[in-house]
Amino acid sequence: MNVWLQITDTAGAVLVFLGAAICLLGVVGMVKLPDVLSRSHAATKPQTLGLLLVLAGVALRLRGGMDLATLALIGFFQLMTGPVAAHLVARSAYRTGQIEHGELLFDDLDAQLTEPGQDSGAGQDADPGPGRS
Amino acid sequence: MSGPETVDRVLISAAVVFVVVACALLLFRISRGPSMLDRAIGLDVFAAVIIAGLGAKSAFARDSFYFPIMLVLAFLGFTGSVGIARFIAVRDKPLSRGKPAGRSTGESAGESAGKEGRG
Repeated sequence: MNVWLQITDTAGAVLVFLGAAICLLGVVGMVKLPDVLSRSHAATKPQTLGLLLVLAGVALRLRGGMDLATLALIGFFQLMTGPVAAHLVARSAYRTGQIEHGELLFDDLDAQLTEPGQDSGAGQDADPGPGRS
Repeated sequence: MSGPETVDRVLISAAVVFVVVACALLLFRISRGPSMLDRAIGLDVFAAVIIAGLGAKSAFARDSFYFPIMLVLAFLGFTGSVGIARFIAVRDKPLSRGKPAGRSTGESAGESAGKEGRG
């Protein structure tokens, strides 16, 4: 029995190590990638995979009921709030023109945003309702 | 101290070193970021890396003292980035091409005024 507890401890340590390594890799990607959207792509690796691996490692090493519940809540809130921030940052980057439009393979939002404005000038009446808020 | 415990301690110490190096690189990116949106993403990742570091510390010492701090960081870490993306980055760099902007916030009045002035 003691052997299995030791194995669980070592597995938890290995998971913490892997999570920290993935955090470091994602941050290296954030330093080296050139664009806001590319950095946003690199930023999601520490936020989800690295953090979930670290939390799983901590859960394997602590093994308490209350601790497991708190760790599950931490992972849940991180998974809930990460996409909200990433979505708003990418939306703001697109709308303020900070992305390279020549490097995008597909740009469906461009047609959604520019065509009504070019058709009817630059007035307030060029406002298609859904998906614009 | 037995052998496997030494392995655990070495692994978690290496994890803490990785987290510290990641924090240093993120501070470089936050101070160097060309636009405010890069800094917003950097701050968002910074909260996640701090949570990972606190988790490594909790795994090393086997205590759950820092779990509420990790919970609050996971819950509120995105608000700074949302605020920057919503209210500061629009002011940071003006529009570079003609397109209608969002109309639900305070900056839409100035942008629409500028648009009327151009057209």
